[in-house]
Amino acid sequence: MTTFVFRNHTVEPFLGDDAMTYSGYDDISIVPRDVERYIWFYQVPVNTDSTQLAEELASYRGKLDLVLAEADDHKPFIVFSLVDLYPVKFTGEDVAVADAIMEFNRYVASLAATRPNVKWVDFSEFTRQYELDALVNWKYYLMSQTLLSPKLAHDFKNWWQRIETQLALQRKKCLVLDMDNTLWGGVLGEDGVDGIRLGGDYPGKAFSYWQRALLQLEKNGVILTVCSKNNEADVIEAWQHNPNMVLKREHFSAVRINWQDKVTNLRELAAELNIGLDSMVFIDDNPTERELVRQLLPQVAVPDFPEKPYQLMPFFKQLVENYFRIYTVTSEDRAKTEQYQANALRKADEARFPDMESYLYSLDMELDIVPADEHNLPRIAQMTQKTNQFNLTTHRYTEADVQRFLDNGWRVYCLGVRDRFGDSGITATVFLEPVDDITVNVDSLLLSCRILGKGIEEAFFKTVLNLLRLDGYRKLVAQYLPTVKNGQTADFYDRMGLTCVSTDSDGSKHYEMELREVFEIKNYYNIRVL
Amino acid sequence: MNMEERVLEIMREVFEMEAVTTDVSQKNCARWDSLHHLSLASELEEAFDIDLEPEEIAEMTDFSRVIDMLKSKI
Repeated sequence: MTTFVFRNHTVEPFLGDDAMTYSGYDDISIVPRDVERYIWFYQVPVNTDSTQLAEELASYRGKLDLVLAEADDHKPFIVFSLVDLYPVKFTGEDVAVADAIMEFNRYVASLAATRPNVKWVDFSEFTRQYELDALVNWKYYLMSQTLLSPKLAHDFKNWWQRIETQLALQRKKCLVLDMDNTLWGGVLGEDGVDGIRLGGDYPGKAFSYWQRALLQLEKNGVILTVCSKNNEADVIEAWQHNPNMVLKREHFSAVRINWQDKVTNLRELAAELNIGLDSMVFIDDNPTERELVRQLLPQVAVPDFPEKPYQLMPFFKQLVENYFRIYTVTSEDRAKTEQYQANALRKADEARFPDMESYLYSLDMELDIVPADEHNLPRIAQMTQKTNQFNLTTHRYTEADVQRFLDNGWRVYCLGVRDRFGDSGITATVFLEPVDDITVNVDSLLLSCRILGKGIEEAFFKTVLNLLRLDGYRKLVAQYLPTVKNGQTADFYDRMGLTCVSTDSDGSKHYEMELREVFEIKNYYNIRVL
Repeated sequence: MNMEERVLEIMREVFEMEAVTTDVSQKNCARWDSLHHLSLASELEEAFDIDLEPEEIAEMTDFSRVIDMLKSKI
């Protein structure tokens, strides 16, 4: 199964490599359709400016909408909720970030309720098992953008496997309940209407809570039925006369109270309700009955029943999570959702983008093109050493190399990138080697993967070409040298309009281009040449 | 299991490869990219109960350097 993951941090150590393709960091420009499912796993970035951070978080909703609009809506789309792993509050009233997180999470829950292919995963289910200090390992974060500590990778994988199993489970429609020692403690036929354990102190209290919980399922659209070996008259008496009985006849859509085998009863219930056996969950305290149903009706889900009454509450939670979560939305829910959506729409209008271009506009990107100097030279050399993916030639240079090139008349530019959410610093560089008076060779061109997906590479390259043309150059030569990691740049020069003049046996490509016209550059980049 | 074998086992697991030999390096192993490098460092820290500094992690570019680093720590 191939999965495409939208992310803004390094999450590969957690989700793994197996059949996973990852977006660039915070990159929504590519939304493939030839995958089997999508995952959206954004994490709350580290930013001590809480106003700026809240604004950034508010923009995620618009981005998610853009991606959902482009994604194949027949494929599952799993969205992780946001959790603040580094909450820094300067005052007690500083709730902007917490609000933005809640807003996003509520929006995702409402999406999951209205779009059949969207499922959401409560990431806090994982994180709340740990102390805040254990969640982030700052060494790895600062080295590799891995916000969640890689030490938790094993735990995460186990947790994620459980979640995936839950996600794969079909939502069920109907709960089939036994009665004696399942809805109450004791046996009605022996203990009598007032002798069964229901209400009052433990263990009766546990069964009261359990029945009230089941009633909530019923109110949320789950069909409750009974399949129990009892005398029907005893049960009717208990419904009518036991004051602690929460679940009464009217809460059950169909009942089978008889001495017939349960397999036959289940078949009859399915037929009567016109639902499939595969949408039923069978609850019975008797392991023999459970085993019989498992053997003869493998389509029916048969969870183990807790040994002790006090385990009924966690059991109920498990039932909801495994079988009934977001299984249906009542009209009341829908009204609530619509109301919420209308409010949120007014509030977060600026966070919505009708298309990619308006999203790029909203970023207020500022690109500074800076010639190499003593301040940025170490960073430029470092980038040639470390950049693997967006790197056309992958030549590795030291500071001394770069200095020597400059002394020999090369032009070396680097690129500083800022947007409304922060400063990415120097994230691209280009090395231009003059060949003769009118010809320049692009020796190196590389971009940090942090800024990919916003068309910056194109704006940077075309601006540089315009500069060269202004300076009297008329011809450009360039190469693409393939490595195991730079496949994504294989057609970059083709896309920029260069002509491929020859290809070597190892896949290296040689390009040329006449520098005649001025290249137009989209106006959502504010470009300064320093 | 001696240290070398243990490191090879960790590498097999981290790189998700069937076989890893003692001449493995970042240069000759495509799976040993920057991401797997950090996972490797994190796993080594856990397995040998040590702390590696970022500078030390950066130096561990092949199998023998990993072993040298571990020996200096234990």
